[in-house]
Amino acid sequence: MNKIMYLEFERCIGCRACQAACRECGDHDAKERNYVEYVDFTESRQTFPMLCMQCKDPACARVCPANAIQITEEGVVLSAMEEKCIGCRNCTFGCPFGIPKFDFEKNKMYKCDMCYDRTREDIAPMCASVCPSDAIRFIDFDEMQQLRRRRTQMNLVEGKKPQEGNKWDYVPEFFGVYTDSQS
Amino acid sequence: MSQFLVKEGVKNQIRQGEKLVTTHCCYCGMQCGMHIRVDEKSNKVVGVEPRYDWVLTKGKMCPKGVTAYQTIDHPDRIKLPLIKKNGKFVESSWEEALDLIERKFKELQEKYGKDTLGVYGGVSMTNEKCYLVGKYARVGLGTRYVDYNGRYCMSSAAGGFNKTLGMDRGSTLPWTELEHSDCFFMSGTNTAECHPTSIQWFWKAKDKGAKIIVADPRETATARIADVHLDLLPGTDTALANGIMHLLIKHDYVDYEYVQERCNNFAELKEVTAKFTPEYTSKLTGVAVEKIIKAAHIFGKSPRSVVMFARGVEQQVSGVDNVSLYTSMALLRGQIGKFASGVATFTGQGNGQGGREHGQKADALPGYRKINDPKHVEYVSGVWGIKPEEMPKEGVSAYEMFGLMENKTIRGMHVICSNPVVSSPNINYVTKAMEGLDFLVVSDFFLSETAELADVVLPATTWAEDEGTTTNIEGRVIRIRKVVEPIGESKPDWEIIKLISERMEKGKYFDYSEPREIFDELRVASKGGKADYFGVTYEKIDEQDGVFWPAPTEDSKGTPSIFQEKFATEDGKANLAVIDYRGPAEVKSKEFPLWLTTGRVVFHYLSGNQTRRVGFLMEQCPEPFVEMHPELASQYQIENGEKVKLSTPRGHMIVPVKITKAIRKDVMFVPYHWGKHQSVNQLTNPALDPTSRMPEFKVCAVKLEKLSK
Repeated sequence: MNKIMYLEFERCIGCRACQAACRECGDHDAKERNYVEYVDFTESRQTFPMLCMQCKDPACARVCPANAIQITEEGVVLSAMEEKCIGCRNCTFGCPFGIPKFDFEKNKMYKCDMCYDRTREDIAPMCASVCPSDAIRFIDFDEMQQLRRRRTQMNLVEGKKPQEGNKWDYVPEFFGVYTDSQS
Repeated sequence: MSQFLVKEGVKNQIRQGEKLVTTHCCYCGMQCGMHIRVDEKSNKVVGVEPRYDWVLTKGKMCPKGVTAYQTIDHPDRIKLPLIKKNGKFVESSWEEALDLIERKFKELQEKYGKDTLGVYGGVSMTNEKCYLVGKYARVGLGTRYVDYNGRYCMSSAAGGFNKTLGMDRGSTLPWTELEHSDCFFMSGTNTAECHPTSIQWFWKAKDKGAKIIVADPRETATARIADVHLDLLPGTDTALANGIMHLLIKHDYVDYEYVQERCNNFAELKEVTAKFTPEYTSKLTGVAVEKIIKAAHIFGKSPRSVVMFARGVEQQVSGVDNVSLYTSMALLRGQIGKFASGVATFTGQGNGQGGREHGQKADALPGYRKINDPKHVEYVSGVWGIKPEEMPKEGVSAYEMFGLMENKTIRGMHVICSNPVVSSPNINYVTKAMEGLDFLVVSDFFLSETAELADVVLPATTWAEDEGTTTNIEGRVIRIRKVVEPIGESKPDWEIIKLISERMEKGKYFDYSEPREIFDELRVASKGGKADYFGVTYEKIDEQDGVFWPAPTEDSKGTPSIFQEKFATEDGKANLAVIDYRGPAEVKSKEFPLWLTTGRVVFHYLSGNQTRRVGFLMEQCPEPFVEMHPELASQYQIENGEKVKLSTPRGHMIVPVKITKAIRKDVMFVPYHWGKHQSVNQLTNPALDPTSRMPEFKVCAVKLEKLSK
């Protein structure tokens, strides 16, 4: 798997199809593992989706006292193994993105696994498959690089140049979630 | 069982013991492609799988689409006919229900004449069924009173297109071309929420530098990504369109060659638009002068542009005028009939396009024929095997039928695939009219608010339990496949129509054993009409990813782009709209000092009868709310989440507040998907457009009150 989850927040229309679709994935037990929030509804309708970054050195796995969170050879950070998870919820506090969730009934943690049963077959995860506005995409590393360069190009076409004070507007608000070492 | 199609080279997850059935979503006009997952052993629907290869939607779905399959095997499904006895529904056999319907229908017709029965249809069902509703009313029951919920949805678009272009196909171009357009002028459409999967095409174009102009009183998710957001007052579209055309003429953006060759009325249009200077337009619409000028320049300079609109401009007393004027904007720029440019309306209901073409409307016969044209009547009578003089006359529009119920002209009613006591304007009146009926039959698969009032409820099937075709937002005829057998004793609407017609001694006109036979009859019935389906076959739909009508001959591949050479008017020329500003039917007053507009949220569909039963969707949006600007909230000392009272002369409702700056300061917005005391349609104004008879859902003057603690 040499693919990247690619988020482009500006495109999010807040429909939450990604959440509904997340529940549809085979191993997901009808529980969503991603979320969509308003940035500030009083100000605007801008929303953003959030899903697991599949960190190279994931905080959730690091803080797990039971070593229950496994990372696949492709780099996908899986939900806690049922037989190992002790239900301490360290992972839910450790993750800076608020991804791991806790099932109080089953006393175990669950999280985004990038629809591993789909992605290991090179089929896009449910959230990226359905996202109507392409705010979430499952694409090749090269395509990601191309998209980032494209943004710069569009800014030039539109005559936009960073000025002192608004440089941050020119940092692409999208970023990739790496699933494979690209070196 | 339907065959199972998967295309070469498209990878899908197919789990062990499951199969995928290729079909489309049941909800809006996008008709997103999807596969439904069926367990092979139990033959039950277990889920959904994206259909990556569907040309229009590429596997994308909104949350309604993802969860649509959950309505099929839903615990609320009606599985047996219900008969109301002593005010309570009792499950009964089909035999008993049909006996009762036969007795009551015949009794009423003998006593009060044929026209005492009415049929109220809907367009969230296949072409086969929509076609049959018209035939059922005219032949099966012999009544003139048939109309459908498209009066609340598409009829102004139809009226406007017919007037200007001579033919009503929702889009003049296939939407796969949209990515090559340079500018979208979208008015009164919150496409990001109402047709979410369309947004991918706008982004594709935007990524190549296309500009988006959105006219809407709210800064919707669509307006948020626009280059210019024209935040106009509800009901002022006529002024805005005239204002933009004024600037197009002033700055020489008019394609004179095209206008001279292909359009009438340019001189008159120039005269009327002369007074719509940016300043005057701004005064009427409440949009800043700079924004109007900027929008006109962007639109005027774009080599390829598409003007698009939806219910926001259509659900007004000047709905037809608005559609005509916006269409004229595209005509002035010489856009209609060319690549990646043209004009389009966003079809709200699943089969809003096909459902309005084949005679479900009070004045229409299949293939967009007219019931008051003797030649048309003669042709269709021939197809149906009746005498032309047996064809009933023109009826009245959906909302006007309630007036006839009130004065006892209509005493019996069959509602098919619709929920008018939620979706009509002024529902307090509508509910009373429906309650006053002597006999009401409702076909539905969930007990809707309308079904609750019925004497007999007949269990219909969901979209996944029957075959057929629909016509999507582009005018592309597509195939809906049967996924599972009907649940319980539910039957598809065409079979219900057949059974009742048999009881009314008209069985020989409805001798169908499967939907394909109905479609083949529809093909002939529409032949030679404007919406000509003669060349459309189920096989052709599969072969070429749908067929665009008109397809007039057996070997026709369909017509993706229309009006390339001439328009469908009598002289082949488009009629530019020459219309002055009239304004909404209701004006603000001291008592009702604010504007109220209504619309959809992404999580619900129409009257909510289906989506209000889906867990995920209800978690996201369980109840209606009123959106208002913080400045307005502050004037009334209202906090976020607080419940307030909204009232109009027609009714009132109590609803929680959502405060956001993404709306005009003088406008409030309430979504309409709920019934009874939660329904904003208690408040809406039933003023009708003079041509399309479409009510003004989108504008009414309203009073806001803070509730005392």
